[in-house]
Amino acid sequence: MHTRPRATGSPRPRTMPAGPTGPQPSLDDPRVMLDRQIGSDLFDPIPPYPTRTERESEFYTLGEGEMFLNLGPHHPATHGVLRLVLKLSGEKVVDVDPVLGYLHRGVEKICENSDYYHVIDQVDPLEYVSSLYQEWAAVLAFEKLMDVQVPRRAEYIRVLSAELLRVASHTLFMGFMALDLGGLTPILYGFIERDEIVEMLAALTGARMLFNYYRIGGVNGDLNHEFLSRLGDWMSRAAAQTEANATLLNENEIFVRRSRGVGVLTRNTALRLGVTGGNLRATGIPFDVRRTHPYSIYPELDFNVPTRNEGDALARYLIRIDEVRESIRIIDQCLTNMPDGPIMAKLPRLLRPRPGRAFGAVEGPRGLLGVYAISDGSDQPFRFRIHDPSFVNLQAVTHLLPGNLMADTMAIVSSLDPVMGGIDK
Amino acid sequence: MDRSLARRLEAHLGSYIKGDVYQRNDETEIRIAPGSVPDVLRTLHDGVEMRFELLVDLAGVDTGEVMQVVYHLWSDATSDWLRVIADGIPRDNPRVPSATFLWPGAEWLEREAYDMFGIVFEGNRDLRRIFMPADYTSFPLRKDFFLPDDAARSPGAGVRHVERPYAPAVVADDPAAGIRRSPAS
Repeated sequence: MHTRPRATGSPRPRTMPAGPTGPQPSLDDPRVMLDRQIGSDLFDPIPPYPTRTERESEFYTLGEGEMFLNLGPHHPATHGVLRLVLKLSGEKVVDVDPVLGYLHRGVEKICENSDYYHVIDQVDPLEYVSSLYQEWAAVLAFEKLMDVQVPRRAEYIRVLSAELLRVASHTLFMGFMALDLGGLTPILYGFIERDEIVEMLAALTGARMLFNYYRIGGVNGDLNHEFLSRLGDWMSRAAAQTEANATLLNENEIFVRRSRGVGVLTRNTALRLGVTGGNLRATGIPFDVRRTHPYSIYPELDFNVPTRNEGDALARYLIRIDEVRESIRIIDQCLTNMPDGPIMAKLPRLLRPRPGRAFGAVEGPRGLLGVYAISDGSDQPFRFRIHDPSFVNLQAVTHLLPGNLMADTMAIVSSLDPVMGGIDK
Repeated sequence: MDRSLARRLEAHLGSYIKGDVYQRNDETEIRIAPGSVPDVLRTLHDGVEMRFELLVDLAGVDTGEVMQVVYHLWSDATSDWLRVIADGIPRDNPRVPSATFLWPGAEWLEREAYDMFGIVFEGNRDLRRIFMPADYTSFPLRKDFFLPDDAARSPGAGVRHVERPYAPAVVADDPAAGIRRSPAS
């Protein structure tokens, strides 16, 4: 048992070199990295500063026969720039310390310094595979602040476009999960499916990924011919295509045996960790914001909240297929019941809501996506808090990974479906 | 509006709640003192008619005068939503008891609030920065942390950017406070 190995025997000093401006240059100063001799210690998992908390010093202390392994930050299975410092004993993961912040842009601060209209395009790049949901959470919170009544046609268009994006996000997830377990084919089918939906939404909103489509009090543009014809074309085979894509993996023995019983999240642990979305429903709790805290027109729609009881990686994968089926049902109902009318509420050019607080929560593809907005009566939100589901879901890896094999890390992390853009904000 | 939740809250937590149970649209809100956070959260989590078992969100807020920690909770049994505001945390020494004894998942949320506001959660065993670098010394979401291009403090404050012809900003430096606003000469 020894503390902080290689701290004494290293030929190079363990402290950062003194910079030109002061004794302690910032770690994110690029000159510091250039001054350093690029060597193996650039990828040293042990941080070059004294430990800050009890837990950190406990983690960075190696026991007998243990070693550290950096997974990431540039690793295809980390779904962005995430670094997992794994403490290994042989093939077994003993402990894990996720290192976040590589993608931190300070979106909350930027939103607090932009006016209410600008917030909508600032939140787009958070979860870049399902941008409409951040916009929705933001406009929902603002509409509650201002008591805006959204026209029914706008609500239908919102549900229609958002559920389309949920299908795209889930098919992409299924492909990426297979990719992380070594299967290349499903991701190709996933991208075919997603490309059709994204092109469809591009016809509706004008952009493929960062839509900037929802507005406070409605949406930016009405349904058009190209969108509807592409949608009708896709809807005619969506259900069959979903089943076909699902059979690629559901009956694949390697995939099933590598994900069944792996990373089991129990009902109680999931609740105590604050996990939401498909990850929580895979443990048997039917928590879906569309039903428990209904917003928009979801109370009028007929759909089920699928649940599973196993709580393992396979259940988390299968529940997303069930959700795709439900989303296709919702899209169908939206098209059947789409009312006529305006798509925007009448609002002033400059929005100054009365002082107050509002929490807008939507059910994103990864779980509860919430925005807590405080208004102080000016044209900028006083506080704009984004609760991202991936952030809380990713925290579960600290409970799921220890005790598992190193190779199962991929299956567990990708079954939680994190998107680092949202986690790092 | 759900008055039954307000009645239940007043019956179980009447001594802790500062002011009234506030309800607007579909939201219910109570304010408590930061010291009573463990008691209130424990009652809300375990109380017979409560069962707020899911911590939906934990957010720090800097009002400019005081700090707040805002908890959003969801009840599995009654499907109620609740906002609990721990109000009146002093800005110069913000300390709140941690919620990790009930929800281990609060650990990262509290780390984020610490990183952004400097609020110290007593009892969180891993309270270190989560997004910003380890040697970073500021708390970016505090209201006295200004963005370099903050329009409200720029010479064009009150004038819409698009309507103002471009002119280089000339602002006096403040060497006493160590602030240099003009470009280096």
